[in-house]
Amino acid sequence: MGEILSMLRIEWLKIKYYRTFWLLLAVITVSIPAFNYMVYDFTTNNIPKFNGQSILGNPFSFPGVWKMVPYNAGLITFMPAIMIITLFTNEYSYRTHRQNIIDGWSRSGFITIKIIEVFLLSLFVTLLVLLTCLYFGFLTLTDPQSFAVEWEQFRFIFYFFVEMLDYLLIAALIATLIKRAGLAMGLFFLYMFVEQLVVAIGRNKYKKDWVNYLPQEVSDRLIPNPLGGKGLPHDSLDHWEKLVPVYLSVAIAYIIIYIYIISWRFRKAEL
Amino acid sequence: MASILSINNISKSYGRIHALKNVSFDVPAGSVYGILGPNGSGKTTLLGVVMDVLQAKSGTYSWFGNPPSEKQRRDIGTLLETPNFYHYLSAARNLEISASIKHTSGEDIHRVLKLVRLYERKDSKFQTFSLGMKQRLAIAACLLGDPAVLVFDEPTNGLDPSGIAEIRQLIIDLAKSGKTIILASHLLAEVEKVCTHVAILQQGSLLKSGEVVSVLSQEEWLELGAVDMEKLREVLNHFPGVKKIRASDNYFQLYFNGAAPAAGEINRFCFDQGILLNQLQVRKKSLESAFIEITNNVSN
Repeated sequence: MGEILSMLRIEWLKIKYYRTFWLLLAVITVSIPAFNYMVYDFTTNNIPKFNGQSILGNPFSFPGVWKMVPYNAGLITFMPAIMIITLFTNEYSYRTHRQNIIDGWSRSGFITIKIIEVFLLSLFVTLLVLLTCLYFGFLTLTDPQSFAVEWEQFRFIFYFFVEMLDYLLIAALIATLIKRAGLAMGLFFLYMFVEQLVVAIGRNKYKKDWVNYLPQEVSDRLIPNPLGGKGLPHDSLDHWEKLVPVYLSVAIAYIIIYIYIISWRFRKAEL
Repeated sequence: MASILSINNISKSYGRIHALKNVSFDVPAGSVYGILGPNGSGKTTLLGVVMDVLQAKSGTYSWFGNPPSEKQRRDIGTLLETPNFYHYLSAARNLEISASIKHTSGEDIHRVLKLVRLYERKDSKFQTFSLGMKQRLAIAACLLGDPAVLVFDEPTNGLDPSGIAEIRQLIIDLAKSGKTIILASHLLAEVEKVCTHVAILQQGSLLKSGEVVSVLSQEEWLELGAVDMEKLREVLNHFPGVKKIRASDNYFQLYFNGAAPAAGEINRFCFDQGILLNQLQVRKKSLESAFIEITNNVSN
């Protein structure tokens, strides 16, 4: 444990004075509440009203906000992914991954710390999502009693954490395999796009359910669109409720597989 | 003498190319061990294997008589191939990272920066450094914690003549202080000036290894001339220890079994036999020709 903490302190030395890191972190920190505010503004002011109420209800009020904010944040996961790709590929471009080993880190120690970095960033973004949920929940709170019931919905914060880990570990895996920042980012976005295409065609044209278990899709399905759409149209909420343990297990299995491949690759690679 | 590094039958391939073929040798404590060979002979690959950044196909190595581990690498200052630092960090902050990985005190940073004349630029970002300054910073990183063993791969790369002389002097001083230094180089003069031992690699094979004086034996011979060359030949035939007399235009090259005698000794011998020498010179085979001889012998 002491060794891990000492290695984390060294990772901190690497990023403490890295302007790009702080810039990306600022963008992530601002974008999650800002993007949610845009959606909030749209659902509040641009959706037709019936009897003075939006026809979508109040998705930013408790308990709906626990689904709404994580769902929206899930749409902009590419930003923390860019940060992970940058932090991983920097080591390859500067060849410091090699120097760290020469200076006295073990290969498994180096890659373990990098994976811990992915967990820490996922935790940070999840914390942001939690704070954003609380902000909008209390902003729209009219009945104080409603705050007591939302804890049941709190699981969506955990689902978001899993979704975030899944996305960031895909980014970390691509960065470990490709090693070049630009190429890794291009491939990451290409993968996101191609998978969405496969899912859309597979589900809509060929009615295949296996597409729901593809790496990105399965973690997306942990948080269905609170306004309808993905995850809900052909499954009902009950159906989703039945399948969510399966989605969660598959998403966690992917996380384990990514970690295994990333560590194996680094331990066996020529540095 | 105890071995600092022991290399046993290390082989390494890149696809169909054999980068190292069953290389074995020991680096004694306190030696300055040169690994000599042309570019592409496998020097950096060998050092990469013993520093765990490359994986050998077969063979083993040990540091300080123990199986390799990251703890041992912390006690070795290594500059392998190129200086590798975070471009966006200053010299001092880069060294802080190296010192932390090596578990050495950050207080040593100023000392090593002064040693390589980079103290004034300690707060400049690595990306603003010239090639020579980057190389000097890498050498400073090697010296952190004053390790007993240093591994330098082409340490004078990118340095100007005065920088080369400085680093050479630094290596000599470090060697004098009892450190073991492993130095890979393709520059014969570098090895000649600082090394006590040498291993010669060519196309991944170890041709010879051992003390410099025995591996790169620089044979000596004498060149003598006189007015009466016929009589001189006759006299020289009787000089003890002569192995071979080779005639040239107006002088003889005299080779000996073992070391050549002092010039004065043979001058007196000739004088006593009634020969007045008009030419007498001691010649020594250059390190370069000794090296070429070894590599050609093996190639042939």
